[in-house]
Amino acid sequence: MDNIQYSAAVEYAAASGTLSSIWLLFAIPLASAAVLFLLGRRADKWGHLLGVASVVATFVLGLVYFFQLKGLSGNRSAEVDLFSFMPVGSLKVDFGLLLDPLSAVFVLLITGVGSLIHIYAVGYMAHDPGRRRFFAFFNLFIAAMLLLVLGNNYVMLYFGWEGVGLASYLLISFFFDKPSAATAGKKAFLMNRVGDAGFAIAMFLMFAQLGSVNYDDVFNGVNQLTQGTVLVMGLLLLLGACGKSGQFPLQAWLPDAMEGPTPVSALIHAATMVTAGVYLIARSNAVFSANATLQTVVVSIGALTLLIGCVIGCAKDDIKRVLAYSTVSQIGYMFLGVGLGGAAYALAIIHLLAHGFFKAGMFLGAGSVMHGMQDQVDIRRFGGLWKYMKITWITFGLGYVAIIGLPPLSGFFTKDPIILAAFNRPGWTGWLFGGAALLGAGLTAFYMTRLFVLTFHGPKRWTDGQHPHESPAVMTVPLVLLAVGSVASGFLMSTSVVDWLTPVLGKHAEEHGRLGHWTVTGMTMAVVALGLAAGVLLFRKGTALEEQPAGPVVTAARNNLYADTFNELVFELPGRYLTRALVFLDNRGIDGVVNGLAAMVGGGSGRLRRAQTGYVRSYALSMLGGALLVVAALMAVTLG
Amino acid sequence: MDPSYYIVLSAALFTIGAVGVLIRRNAIVVFMCIELMLNAANLALITFSRMNGSLDGQIMAFFVMVVAAAEVVIGLAIIMSIFRTRRSASVDDANLLKY
Amino acid sequence: MTFKLPAIDYLALAPMLVLFGAACAGVLVDALVPREWRYHVQVPLSLVALLASGGFVVALANRKEHVVTAGSAVVIDGPGLFLQGSIVVLGIVALFLVAERRLEPGGAFVAQAAVVAGSEADRKQMRKPGVTEVYPMMLFALAGMMLFCSANDLLTMFVALEVFSLPLYLLCALARRRRLLSQEAAVKYFLLGAFASAFFLYGVAMIYGYAGKVDFRGINEAVLGSSNSKTLLLIGLAMLAIGLLFKVAAVPFHVWTPDVYQGAPTPITAFMAACTKVAAFGGLLRVLYVAFERSSWDFRPTLGVIAAATMIVGAVLAVTQTDIKRLLAYSSVANAGYLLTGTLSMNRDGLKYTMFYLVAYGFTVLAAFAIVMLVRDSDGEATHLARWAGLGRRSPVFASLFTFLMLAFAGIPLTSGFTAKFGVFAAAVGGNMTWLVIIGVLSSMILAFPYLRVVVLMWLSVPGDDTPTVSVPGAFTAAALFVGVAMTLVLGVAPNQALELVNDAGAFLR
Repeated sequence: MDNIQYSAAVEYAAASGTLSSIWLLFAIPLASAAVLFLLGRRADKWGHLLGVASVVATFVLGLVYFFQLKGLSGNRSAEVDLFSFMPVGSLKVDFGLLLDPLSAVFVLLITGVGSLIHIYAVGYMAHDPGRRRFFAFFNLFIAAMLLLVLGNNYVMLYFGWEGVGLASYLLISFFFDKPSAATAGKKAFLMNRVGDAGFAIAMFLMFAQLGSVNYDDVFNGVNQLTQGTVLVMGLLLLLGACGKSGQFPLQAWLPDAMEGPTPVSALIHAATMVTAGVYLIARSNAVFSANATLQTVVVSIGALTLLIGCVIGCAKDDIKRVLAYSTVSQIGYMFLGVGLGGAAYALAIIHLLAHGFFKAGMFLGAGSVMHGMQDQVDIRRFGGLWKYMKITWITFGLGYVAIIGLPPLSGFFTKDPIILAAFNRPGWTGWLFGGAALLGAGLTAFYMTRLFVLTFHGPKRWTDGQHPHESPAVMTVPLVLLAVGSVASGFLMSTSVVDWLTPVLGKHAEEHGRLGHWTVTGMTMAVVALGLAAGVLLFRKGTALEEQPAGPVVTAARNNLYADTFNELVFELPGRYLTRALVFLDNRGIDGVVNGLAAMVGGGSGRLRRAQTGYVRSYALSMLGGALLVVAALMAVTLG
Repeated sequence: MDPSYYIVLSAALFTIGAVGVLIRRNAIVVFMCIELMLNAANLALITFSRMNGSLDGQIMAFFVMVVAAAEVVIGLAIIMSIFRTRRSASVDDANLLKY
Repeated sequence: MTFKLPAIDYLALAPMLVLFGAACAGVLVDALVPREWRYHVQVPLSLVALLASGGFVVALANRKEHVVTAGSAVVIDGPGLFLQGSIVVLGIVALFLVAERRLEPGGAFVAQAAVVAGSEADRKQMRKPGVTEVYPMMLFALAGMMLFCSANDLLTMFVALEVFSLPLYLLCALARRRRLLSQEAAVKYFLLGAFASAFFLYGVAMIYGYAGKVDFRGINEAVLGSSNSKTLLLIGLAMLAIGLLFKVAAVPFHVWTPDVYQGAPTPITAFMAACTKVAAFGGLLRVLYVAFERSSWDFRPTLGVIAAATMIVGAVLAVTQTDIKRLLAYSSVANAGYLLTGTLSMNRDGLKYTMFYLVAYGFTVLAAFAIVMLVRDSDGEATHLARWAGLGRRSPVFASLFTFLMLAFAGIPLTSGFTAKFGVFAAAVGGNMTWLVIIGVLSSMILAFPYLRVVVLMWLSVPGDDTPTVSVPGAFTAAALFVGVAMTLVLGVAPNQALELVNDAGAFLR
């Protein structure tokens, strides 16, 4: 199934010339964040400008490095060891950076889309007293994200990984006054911790098995490992990726994360951070390609998540949540791509890039709508807005056409090949995953049409008190640029970027699968047209303002497919029954641990702490008991 | 006489001391039980000294006695101060810090 | 019969001798100098003594000559010197906290401990300056800790154990406010500590019975060669371990930790959390790596289970704590588990990274307790977590610093918490203790919650009327806080210098 060989050793060239200063990429936004934090209120007047300037400067710098890298002949990579982070003993970790084709495209995506969203945020946050702090966190995020993609070993990746997570919790909780924002921040933290634990253990496993966490050592050494080890290592990495990218079973935090300001949703929870999981898998392609079971798991998770995202997306009425579930679903496509392996790695990456453009554009468009509608988010209370905000309408429309995959916009060039590749997976699973991807395309067309029609067309359903208006230029210009990106990028990327990525993701022979290119395109177009038509027919006249009684499927979808209920049944209830101590604590107003898993731990904790009775004699008893156990255990181990 | 009997005696004393710590309430008595455990260790040291034919164990016993004396001073000071406050030497009464 | 006096290398012992000497001088100062002058004499005296002691440690480290001296009772080697140096440095920072008198008139210590708590006389002494005996007692404790890390036989180790424990018992009882809690903490610590040291001593006796010697080299030789019953060795080893595990606060010998940490005066809690941890692990490392290395197959499974239990219990119990000092106590228990994980890897990396972890943790915990000292109302420190709600709005600077320290405890990268944890876990993986590392990662995942809870509480809650203010720290506390936070950052971002240092320390001398 995998038509490439990794026998050729992975080797990175040392950086020379301008490329040896790639550390500037994350140093500039980091310095800007530090200035904004340290100067405090003194920087309130111009803080946002510094924030924007630093990211734009980083983007320009990124372009310079990109062309430098392009100019290199042969081994297109630049590795810089800044200093030895942990120089001691058999564990050597360098603070090392690597710019290669894969990280270069990510740098451009992060800084390019990041710059536009920073500019947009200047307008969006104009009246927020915490704007300077917001930009400080935003710059911090950019720095961490760049560190994530620029590291030359897994520890550096982990640094960025935790850094973006941290910036994300801080930014979700940015609206301090909303309790739901705090809860969402905590949920994101919990789900990410589960994933991060997997990632951390995977790193220790690499260290134990290969003695190094450097990319080149790991990729070159993976062939010597047993299949079981590779499987475990890959599954642990996958757990980390699922946590960060909101994939099944850790998908629940991502939609809740929309409590944060809209530019945050656009940058972090649509364009960049949530795709870190895809980056991790693509970067570790040598590991994932080395085990067939592992690839099947990745593909299954991708297919399942993309369907979950679509189904829930159909039933939500909050504009940002629909977009959030569509993000979950589109990342599902990317996971599908990286799981298919071979040529599909590059397809997943170009879909990721295209998604970065159109999804960020749509989120910003949603923000622009909210801006004009006094922070209303319910799509049932929009309608006919195209008259009032023309730029938002057109740009959002282009993003919409791009995501449902109509030619010649980017989704057509990036999503269709993934569906094709899924169909061409050998065996019956090809039909299964291909079918899932195809169904997903139809559903995407349906719910995105619903979103678009309900928001911009049909009769107006908002109250007379609202005066929809177009947003200022500082917000619309980024919208236009992102729309241009979603229009133009598709065709460009489907050819050149795939070639560009070949050194990292492997060279691929032309695949001849069971279904031809045009067959699949035809099927996809048919399904998309079906979904689109259904959406238009059902919603062109608007919709009822109240929730309609619905069948079981819709009800289930409205309830996030009972994900929270499932969590509650499996995790929370036993925790509750274990002890009521935690409930007691919660009632006392001390901020209890809200989430299910934590409830179990908290339950155990509440019960266990009763053992700390405060009596010296019971302490002495526990020590004596422990002493007897230690003596007995030592005897048993040695003599028994 | 077989010196190993002294080891058995010392183990018995140690156990009595340890159990005493668990079952007695008066802080002074608890502390005396701990002293009993130290002395059990002393007995063991001296016996082993004899069995091994080296003087080290006996010298160690002297050190232990000095240390135990120092411990008594500190211990009584602390127990006295809490006794004067609470008018009780029961270790079960000191129960404010818990959970 | 003639006695031959053992040769003593006074230079090698100088770091400890200076402290013992200064401690004795401190006792005299308290006896002879007028009351109002004592503080102004004791603090400089202690500081100079610690600096001199540190100077000698550096000089000895540069000498690079490792000696066994004082009739083979004391060994001065690389790791021993590193641990001694860490104890001195952490001791200086802790001394800053102890010497602080700006936050509370007269300092955190009672004027006369003998006065009955709650009596008329007690109310009268409320505004009098605190006892100055704390300084010599601290010096005695520090010197004992240094000796504990450099002891070359079990008897010296026992004496050193008592020398550093006895002053600590007393220091716990000296809080100015909430004296009942303070006295209760002291009684508990004392009785359980004495109980544990009785186990330690009986273990010494058993080992002596098995090996015929108590010096580490002799024990090491006897572990394979002795014809005595192995039961003696195992019982002895187990009981020694119990005495040491009590000091490091490993489950199930941790029971004293939360109560004592909560009841003791906060500067002393900080002192114990930082310095006692170093000393206890220094002793444990030396015993396991030098004396019993050859029986590591015997003790690794058992101690591994203890380490796992320590990590899990410490983390789980921290989740529902409502008092910041107790929370930090359970975090200290969990950290003992991570340190044990490093210790049990039984390889060079394990030794190095455990020592690195000790230093990193010491600085972070000192800074954390320094902030606990600052959050106060008219009734002293406000340690209940409910009172910390909304602190981020009252005092963003200190809340930010505390947030940073919490992130360091949680092991977020670019803080010393990450480097240290990563190091000990990697060492343990190298030492074939992968199962322990998995438990460690899970435990640190759980432990992140209580830390996050504090952060959320500080930033996302609205301050109430009874939200305490954060006092402006005096120069001493500010210095301690600065050093602690700065080291937490430095050891996280660029740990290479410190790691070079532990690397140069090399292995224990046998």
